[in-house]
Amino acid sequence: MQLYSPLSTTPKRKAFRAPALATIDGMRIGILENGKLNAEEMLNEVAALFVERNGCTVRMLASKKNASAPAPANTLVKVAQEVDFLITGLGD
Amino acid sequence: MPALAPRIHEVPDDLLAAIDFCYEQGWTDGLPVVPPVVDRVKSMLAAEDRPPDTVIAHHPATGLDLSLHAAAVNAVMAGCLPEYFPVVVAAFEAMDRPDFNFHGSTASTGGSAPLLVVSGPYPDRIGMNSDVNLFGPGNRPNATIGRAVRLILRNVFQMIPGISDKSTQGNPGKYSFCIAERSRGNPWPPLSEAQGYAKGVSSVTVYAGGGFCNVENHGGNTPEQILGSVADAMANYGCITLGQSVVILAPEHMRIIADAGWSRERTQDYLFAQAKRSVDGMKSVGKYRDREYDQQHGDEAHELVEPGFMHRGLRPDDILVTMGGGDAGGHSCFIPSWSRGRGSIMQHAPILAGANTQRD
Repeated sequence: MQLYSPLSTTPKRKAFRAPALATIDGMRIGILENGKLNAEEMLNEVAALFVERNGCTVRMLASKKNASAPAPANTLVKVAQEVDFLITGLGD
Repeated sequence: MPALAPRIHEVPDDLLAAIDFCYEQGWTDGLPVVPPVVDRVKSMLAAEDRPPDTVIAHHPATGLDLSLHAAAVNAVMAGCLPEYFPVVVAAFEAMDRPDFNFHGSTASTGGSAPLLVVSGPYPDRIGMNSDVNLFGPGNRPNATIGRAVRLILRNVFQMIPGISDKSTQGNPGKYSFCIAERSRGNPWPPLSEAQGYAKGVSSVTVYAGGGFCNVENHGGNTPEQILGSVADAMANYGCITLGQSVVILAPEHMRIIADAGWSRERTQDYLFAQAKRSVDGMKSVGKYRDREYDQQHGDEAHELVEPGFMHRGLRPDDILVTMGGGDAGGHSCFIPSWSRGRGSIMQHAPILAGANTQRD
């Protein structure tokens, strides 16, 4: 008996991680909040720890209108030009 | 990068062993599947006039595509007959639109399932149920079309429970959630015509449904009484959000509404106006947010929006309302949206089968 596989025939996508920063001391932080209850508060608290411990500066707060959809490309492009690393996460 | 050729597995000529093989591969929803033998998949594909490698949906989170071929394999596994396949295809063509956001609605803790509402003449042609026990078991096209959607989400898009599907509790509709709109005795134009399709063209509406809420009312005799109980369900503290709604009116309830001459639009207006909670009430349960109030009450607020209240949805046409179910019983239902805001908006697509296969 011959059975077809029910899986997608799309070739596996290669995923790459961004190279790690040599140091986070003094870096510029961006925050991407997802619009959910408490997201902005939680991310600001996390950023404050980097400011306190590593002398980072918070340069930008960006928002997503839709928590479960990817951030718009233009948001990411803009953020990438102005910060060294980005903090994001789910709030609820 | 071009798609790979569909993979074929050789298994012993033993049906039960083949079913077990499908379990071992992790291809099922927990229930046994029909083994996707090559001949059955080819028969399923014969219901389509496009090449099998045609991509009908794309998953942005993983980059995975859904081809007609993969859809056919999963439809066979779900138990679909070839004449059901155009409904499965149309459903994914609708779900593929970004505003539906099928990744979010499937991955989320919210636990939603895509509800399919099939409208027009096609449901009758393939024997779908729009009548007694509408959401229950017993009808092959309803059960297997909805199941095919789930199997595709699982197998093609890899929305695996506990891994990429993080539903806190899920809902029973995640096995299958597919109904036909009842045309018999329905005083309103079919949804397909309200959606702008020509008479005779059928449609499927997809909606990220968050569950099922029975609305019982055997004592009401006016539209206001019947719809007042529906609106109360829509606005219960557990459900009220800015999201959309689906309301399926039982024939007994519909008769009361139609005998009073109420149209679909008037019904939507009434439900929207009544499905509300005070700001103080929303604050009392910790669900009030300035941002949401401003979104509903801002410059583009609908004229029925009442100051000091949060309504369900943003406007009356956020409520899909039609008729379904058996003749007896004052049991309608409200199905809340997964989305608490505008994260998933219901979509519809024509069912292109038989005389309607002409594509743009």
